[in-house]
Amino acid sequence: MLTKTLLILLGLIALAVPVAAALGWLGLTMQYLESPMPLHRALGDMVWQTGTDFLLVAIPMFILLGEILLRSGIAAAMYEGIVKWLGWLPGGLMHANTGSCALFAATSGSSVATAATIGTVAIPQIEKRGYNERLFLGTIAAGGTLGILIPPSINLILYGLLTDTSVPELYLAGFLPGFLLAALFMVTVIVLCIARPGWGGERVRASWGERIAALPSLLPPIGIFLVVVGSIYAGLATPTEAAALGVVAALILAAANGTLTLAMLRAAIEGTMRTTSMIMLIILAAVFLNFVLSIIGLTQALADFVTGLGLTPMQTMLMLIAVLVVVGCFMETLSMLLTTAPLITPIVVALGFDPVWFGILLMVLLETALITPPIGINLYVVQGVRERGELTDVMVGALPFVITMFAMIGFLLIFPEIALWLPSLVY
Amino acid sequence: MFRLIDHAHKLSRVLVWIGGGLILLSAFLVTVEVFVRKIFNASIAGADEISGYAFGVATTFGLAYALFERAHIRVDALFITLPRALRIVLNFFGLALLVGFAGVIAWMAWGLVGDTLQHGSRSITPMRTPLAIPQIPWLFGWIFFVACGALLFVGALWAALTGRAAKSEMMIGPKTLDEQIEDETV
Repeated sequence: MLTKTLLILLGLIALAVPVAAALGWLGLTMQYLESPMPLHRALGDMVWQTGTDFLLVAIPMFILLGEILLRSGIAAAMYEGIVKWLGWLPGGLMHANTGSCALFAATSGSSVATAATIGTVAIPQIEKRGYNERLFLGTIAAGGTLGILIPPSINLILYGLLTDTSVPELYLAGFLPGFLLAALFMVTVIVLCIARPGWGGERVRASWGERIAALPSLLPPIGIFLVVVGSIYAGLATPTEAAALGVVAALILAAANGTLTLAMLRAAIEGTMRTTSMIMLIILAAVFLNFVLSIIGLTQALADFVTGLGLTPMQTMLMLIAVLVVVGCFMETLSMLLTTAPLITPIVVALGFDPVWFGILLMVLLETALITPPIGINLYVVQGVRERGELTDVMVGALPFVITMFAMIGFLLIFPEIALWLPSLVY
Repeated sequence: MFRLIDHAHKLSRVLVWIGGGLILLSAFLVTVEVFVRKIFNASIAGADEISGYAFGVATTFGLAYALFERAHIRVDALFITLPRALRIVLNFFGLALLVGFAGVIAWMAWGLVGDTLQHGSRSITPMRTPLAIPQIPWLFGWIFFVACGALLFVGALWAALTGRAAKSEMMIGPKTLDEQIEDETV
């Protein structure tokens, strides 16, 4: 049964069947083969219940929030502002790349939008200021992945939904690892630029006056971040409500910026709905698939198989991480999250690991998946924005950051407190 | 044939504006709810329920548009290495499975809405919403998606059979990277 499921799934995915259809038909097929009950009868009710779940309303809200920010022109201003603050470090603008990605990701939650937006602003600087092109591109590709981990992340909401884990707790757990990973990216750049001074390019030295003057350009994203995240932890709002507050705040900012037009709003809505409907169809299919797989006992069979290997919990964890890294080389993040989280999390929890901690670890693995060849969306996006040269440049440039992510995974394994300390103060 | 598809595409865009408008209104409604709750310590009950319905309807309203815009994710790692003829066949295979799965959902959704109408079902919340109100547009979204998918399938097949393979790829093939980036940047 395990092999059959895996073969059908891999077959459909490899034949480039839309992911939603692959998951849905896998569910229908396994039900037909293994279940005496017509489980698909539950599909109507299940799709209605999941499709109107208030927790998931956060998805279109966060996407809309990101779309509005993207189209209101504050990203470019923000980049200039961050250059003033971080440009003096060895590696110069590359730190601004990481910093802006972290900040933009924290508000928009989309890795592709982050890498594309920051990439468009930053890439012209490579030649102007003499940076090592590969490493520079790598910082954008890697920085763009931070949105998955730094709250408010849509992926954490989906993990919470699929594994029955508290989203506010996951958000709280994501802070330290998210900012630590951003810091580690910067350390990576500094170390490489000290070892190879030629890679660093021209640094930007700004006076404190200039830095203070640049602050207003940083306020919009920080403000939105505070509204969204602050309202959750002040006990004012649930994640979905916080997302709604964020949308309204972004609209006010765009209006203040003079960029709120009907055409802009229409473009933002079209982008939001395109992504939302696509994601939701996959989620609905995944929820149905999980229902079928648990009824026919596959989830249990997989757990038995893994425990039957006779490994210690830590060895099992390392094996799972290795599998996920390999899967991440070939799969796109959303599909990977939706197929692996519901199957693997029960095993991990049975082994005594914390589901919140594992959620954070899984997010770092998803980030890795975004920049590992051959399928790493952010690599493609950065290459696409660049419009010249070879994709290999971006792959090589992102490699040091893959290693940094592995280090982050190691830290999480050795010091689970990185993720669990903040939640432990509150919950 | 292709004119009909263009019209369906335009109609799907109108549905998206309606759906997106619902999401936007929900954002304001929920924001008001949060403020009223905090400031007046009272609740305008039902903001969460209503926005849930708005979300459900908006999602199904956007499905067809996402299809026309070729936004439904496909993993093309192996796909791009295959010969073109095979890729064209796989485009049809993928679309057929997508529309087929949506067809199963639409069929089950039809049954659900039938039950709702028959029993006059209401939500088990203080609002006691007659569920038919949100469920009928929601069902319409599913049916519209399946209809558009079938139409697109026939149109692309027609294009492929009359020697316009490139047109069929433009209609139902996965998006190229340049097209994706164009969508994500301004």
